[in-house]
Amino acid sequence: MRASGGSWRWWWLGGAVVSAAGAVLIARQAIDAQRALFETDARIVHRLLSQQAVQHDAILDTLALLQPGPPAAGAQPPEQRLPALYPHILAVQRRDRDQAWPDPALAAAEAASRRDRRAALAPSPDGDTARFRLVLAAEPTSYALTIAVRGMVPWAEWPMPPDRSPVRVALVRGAQRIDLQAGDAAALAGGSGWRFSFHKHLAAASQPFDVVAERQLGWAQLPWWRMLGWAAAVTAVLALMAQLQRQRTARRRAEELLRLGQVARLNTLGELAAGMAHELNQPLTAVLANTQAAQRLLADDPPELDTARSAMAQAVAQARRAADVVGRLRAVVERPAHRAAEASAGGVDLADAVRRALHLLEPECRRRGLAPEPQAPAPVRVQADPVAVDQIVHNLLMNALQALDAVPADARRLTLTVLPAGGHGELRVADSGPGIPAEALTRLFEPFFSTREGGLGLGLSLCETLAQGMNGSLTAANRPEGGAVFTLRLPLKDAS
Amino acid sequence: MSTLSPTIHLIDDDAAVRDSLALLIGTVGLRVTPWADPQVFLEGFDREAIGAIVLDVRMPGISGLTVLDTLVAQGVDQPVIMLTGHGTVDMCRRAFKAGAAEFLEKPVNDELLIEALQNAVRQHVRSRERHQADREARERYAQLSEREREVLGLIVAGLTNKEIGRALDLSPRTVETHRANLFAKLQAESLAQLIRRYAALVDEHDGG
Repeated sequence: MRASGGSWRWWWLGGAVVSAAGAVLIARQAIDAQRALFETDARIVHRLLSQQAVQHDAILDTLALLQPGPPAAGAQPPEQRLPALYPHILAVQRRDRDQAWPDPALAAAEAASRRDRRAALAPSPDGDTARFRLVLAAEPTSYALTIAVRGMVPWAEWPMPPDRSPVRVALVRGAQRIDLQAGDAAALAGGSGWRFSFHKHLAAASQPFDVVAERQLGWAQLPWWRMLGWAAAVTAVLALMAQLQRQRTARRRAEELLRLGQVARLNTLGELAAGMAHELNQPLTAVLANTQAAQRLLADDPPELDTARSAMAQAVAQARRAADVVGRLRAVVERPAHRAAEASAGGVDLADAVRRALHLLEPECRRRGLAPEPQAPAPVRVQADPVAVDQIVHNLLMNALQALDAVPADARRLTLTVLPAGGHGELRVADSGPGIPAEALTRLFEPFFSTREGGLGLGLSLCETLAQGMNGSLTAANRPEGGAVFTLRLPLKDAS
Repeated sequence: MSTLSPTIHLIDDDAAVRDSLALLIGTVGLRVTPWADPQVFLEGFDREAIGAIVLDVRMPGISGLTVLDTLVAQGVDQPVIMLTGHGTVDMCRRAFKAGAAEFLEKPVNDELLIEALQNAVRQHVRSRERHQADREARERYAQLSEREREVLGLIVAGLTNKEIGRALDLSPRTVETHRANLFAKLQAESLAQLIRRYAALVDEHDGG
């Protein structure tokens, strides 16, 4: 699973990169949108304030032009009705010809107005920075307006909610600063994040104020939920893709296994056919050779009848042998269990089976300088098919002998132990060979697994199948002192 | 030489196959020595005898192809006929490459086997005869004196007595004497026979 672990790391990395890039993009878009909104609002604010300022000029111009005459005694001069119309115009003052302004500041402003031919500013007499006075020099009467700055904002048309908006708006003239909207003071003081600001002169030369708008966009105001949502969406999509990928891999693996299974079945058939071919070819060769020899002997003059007869008898015996091979094959294909029950009425003596196999393998043992004897303290009879037991024992001994080829002659030991163990009879075939490699130990009984070059890998597989078919077992292990030990366990005759 | 009674060595671990094939081969008058164990055969068979070897490919312990390799490595000159139950192309190729004379499939037809065996025995006899004649020629050649070998070389090269005398700075009479001696020692009855039998040996010595 190392490969899939690596691919997981890539999935994670890819997911993190896409999430982060997307989040940054979302944040930037949000910041840009906020900036655009801020600038639009600031421009609207500037325009609204400029309109007001221009209106002050217009009012003064109108007064200067109409020159309402001196009021009748006791009557209110007409310009005094202006504060009622415009709440932010707190007062209107006039200086008739040959009169003087009550405040020298107004006189100075009038002089400036006369010089610049436009209205001029004068500070509020009580030092209230939230007010200013605007003086226009005219003949015969000059006028002055006292204006409350905060009152001149047309809140009805204001583009922002004044009490909640994070934007700070102020009119600034030199050191004089009149806040119109407080904004988010804490954020503006903190200074982390992004700062938007807007400076522009009022569009009225008579009132040289700067409209200053500022906004501080803090980290907390980023669209975290949208960013999180994006990351979640990316994760979900990646998880889905990974899941699909995993499913595809699993499906491919399943297909591969299926294909392997088919190949294995074909191999099994091939091996079975090869084994059959050999097993049948031997007797068929003998049958053919015997009958053809007999033909030749009978064709002799005089015919050698005795030899021909014996050759024919041999041919008959070999034909039976071929038939036995077919029968044995069928028996192997069928389960040997039911045969075991009826075939061994008296049970099988394990030590006898070992002796029979040793007898057959005597030349093999001799060539390796071995003369093994089964160690059986007491006779052990098991409930089993004698043919199957012979086959298993033969295979185990042959394996052990071949394993011993790998060690020098004086180090070769083959120990065959027969003993009862629980309800089972046990045969242990222990050799002093090189033992079973760890990686082979688990696969030893798999069909077609062989550690021998050219081995079919069917021997132990068949033995295990046979042993299990007789309610027994076949296991393999390495001995602590070196070499391998195979243990065949079969149910005891008396136990069943 | 025991050419009169060629012996067929038959190696097969299966007793029934061994006995029946021995019987079949015996019907044409060939003597058969059966062997059950290839190892015992390798240790015990008569390498000098005329005959052939019939070898089963599939045997426990040691494969027929391994036995074949061993025989070839030991310089055994008896032809080897391989028998197999299921011969693959690869196995067949390996057998011929290793020096098998014939490769037959079991069950084997009597005529095929017997013909192969008779061919093998004939081939072996011829090869032994050639070998024998070769050895005799070598022995006779070894009896020649240095001067006689020189004269023989020039005769084989096609020179006349006079030319040989000039080449070796000898009188034509002396050349004639050497010529008569080497014809006698090599038991050659004619110039043609002399050249046919000894030209190769002369080349061999010139080369060496």
